[in-house]
Amino acid sequence: MEQRINFAEKGQGAMKALFGLGGYLMKSAKLDKNLIELVNMRVSQINGCAYCLDMHSKDLRAAGETEQRLYLLSAWREVSFYTEKERAALEWAEAVTLLKDREVPDEVYEIARAQFSEEELIDLTLAVAAINSWNRINVSFRTVAGGYVPGMFSAQAA
Amino acid sequence: MDQRLDYSEKGKEAMKAMYGLELYLAKSSIERHLLHLIKFRVSQINGCAYCLDMHSKDLRAAGETEQRLYMLDAWRESPFYTDRERAALEWAEALTLVTEGHVRDEVYEIAKAEFNEQELIDLTLAVTTINAWNRISIAFRTTPGTYQPPKLAHHSAE
Repeated sequence: MEQRINFAEKGQGAMKALFGLGGYLMKSAKLDKNLIELVNMRVSQINGCAYCLDMHSKDLRAAGETEQRLYLLSAWREVSFYTEKERAALEWAEAVTLLKDREVPDEVYEIARAQFSEEELIDLTLAVAAINSWNRINVSFRTVAGGYVPGMFSAQAA
Repeated sequence: MDQRLDYSEKGKEAMKAMYGLELYLAKSSIERHLLHLIKFRVSQINGCAYCLDMHSKDLRAAGETEQRLYMLDAWRESPFYTDRERAALEWAEALTLVTEGHVRDEVYEIAKAEFNEQELIDLTLAVTTINAWNRISIAFRTTPGTYQPPKLAHHSAE
């Protein structure tokens, strides 16, 4: 599993543009940071991005998330570990990621709007769009997973 | 098909972060016309009506033929597209459908044969960005049809 292109080195302009999204989500988004990280982890599971799974699991654990809630995340519907808000966010994130039948169903929209205001839902959607972007970049360039240390990108995202 | 919420109004800061990506892409090394073609193809796969309306208008205004847009769904079976366009379409599809095959080595080789590293980074960012816009528009059911390209070419009225 060799890295194809060192995106962080060769694509600094592109990274900077992407960190613009990350910066907005960290500073201005009206959502709980842990919730965004949970969504990042779940979407990365769906898209199969190793680098992202390593990164976001480390960030979540560093912020105090339990191992169990991360192990069970891919079966979140079947367990009671997640709050109603988290479940709504995960439901929305999965639908927006998978675009099953090329849509996001009304029922899912209703579930999401029951927990999030319009502004919050816009931010959540941006977070889902952003992690889908990172997943694709890391999968396509086969970024080597494992070396992430929590906080290593904080300066760039600021 | 009612629009669910107006994110251009309720999510101005979020949209600003997205436009940061577009600003980078406007200066990219990839031909503008090729980027538009990719945006159209990805929007077909994800099923984003607003984006299909917008990018078809942009393409036609820039002189693209009707036939090349009608045949894009079956680009593999058509002689209408250059090797460079075919490589870009192959890459765009593999990234968009990232869960199917995780961007196989053969696809990477095809892309590398036509694009240098910088171009491939820019192409990848274009693909992830249109995937992001598709998700936002589909999630919020943006009403398609009203988009007008910035400059109308004389032969767009066919």
